[in-house]
Amino acid sequence: MKRFLILSMALIAMAAAPVMAGESESYGEGVTLDEAMAIDVLLANPNDYVGRKVRVDGVITAVCKKRGCWMQVTDPESGNGVRIKVEDGVIVFPYTSMGREAQAEGIFEAIKLTPEQVEARTAAAHDHQEGATCDKDGPKSPAAGTGCDLPPIDQYVYLIRGTGAVING
Amino acid sequence: MKIRRLVIATHRDIGYFFAGLTVLYAISGVAVNHIDDWNPNYVIRREAVEVGVLPFGEPAELGAEVLSRLGVTEEPRSVVRMNREELKVFLDQRTLTVTLPGGHVVDEHVRRRFAFFEVNFLHLNTGKGFWTWFADIYAVGLLVLACTGIFILPGKKGLGGRGRWLLITGLAIPIVYLVVAVWR
Repeated sequence: MKRFLILSMALIAMAAAPVMAGESESYGEGVTLDEAMAIDVLLANPNDYVGRKVRVDGVITAVCKKRGCWMQVTDPESGNGVRIKVEDGVIVFPYTSMGREAQAEGIFEAIKLTPEQVEARTAAAHDHQEGATCDKDGPKSPAAGTGCDLPPIDQYVYLIRGTGAVING
Repeated sequence: MKIRRLVIATHRDIGYFFAGLTVLYAISGVAVNHIDDWNPNYVIRREAVEVGVLPFGEPAELGAEVLSRLGVTEEPRSVVRMNREELKVFLDQRTLTVTLPGGHVVDEHVRRRFAFFEVNFLHLNTGKGFWTWFADIYAVGLLVLACTGIFILPGKKGLGGRGRWLLITGLAIPIVYLVVAVWR
């Protein structure tokens, strides 16, 4: 039985070794596309890319806290980011990977917001109560381009239905 | 009788083999069952700090200034300006969210929840690969344990009496729940 125990441990160590070795970690199908799409370009003309498989590179700036079922990949130059949503449990992004560079790919999707969601987002962005009208003559937010100066909230949110990713160590 | 001996021996050996893993999976099962109430994988602690008004500058410079004011010597993983008013400084297991130019900082510390992270890693098969195979073997082992367990005892305490009613009750609970919650 002791031999059985030692043999089992050796087999497990060999089987698990590829996961431990290497600095980058691959998730799901990893990254298959050679070229990454600039996140700014993707978000500037989203309708051109909806339904297409795209790859984005950037820094992980947010991760689903409890389930690791999404992460936000952000272009560090512009601050624009796109959420990579994966099926719960199929791919789990570690919360501790925030700040690391990542490549992620999947199908780019547009999701239409409900009127309630649009109203809630508008209120939050314009800094007023839900249902209230933005007071253009009222006190402005400290920085220009915020509060009432913001353009109307988009009716859609865009995300990548992730099939795989590589997170650099 | 020979068959019963074989059933008992099989149940005993598989039981010994998988006892440890069953305990780990049970702990993780309870932990993940209550995921709405707590974070079973990470301990996240936040505190607000003021570092004073920050000058204009590139994200890297601003990040270095914030770290200097906080007395942090660690080299950041990355510094990203999310928008005009927000800068994020990512350290190992720590994220600083800085409001610009005021210098209000939300300092978030993250660490893996001791033991739970590991048991959840196994139970939720986060690692895939080898563990997928072993977890499949474990599932078959549980199936064998259940099937052999039913036939261990003969007579009134076995399937001929008390065992039968316990078996039926155990099956009825999920079925009744499904009737009420799903199939109505």
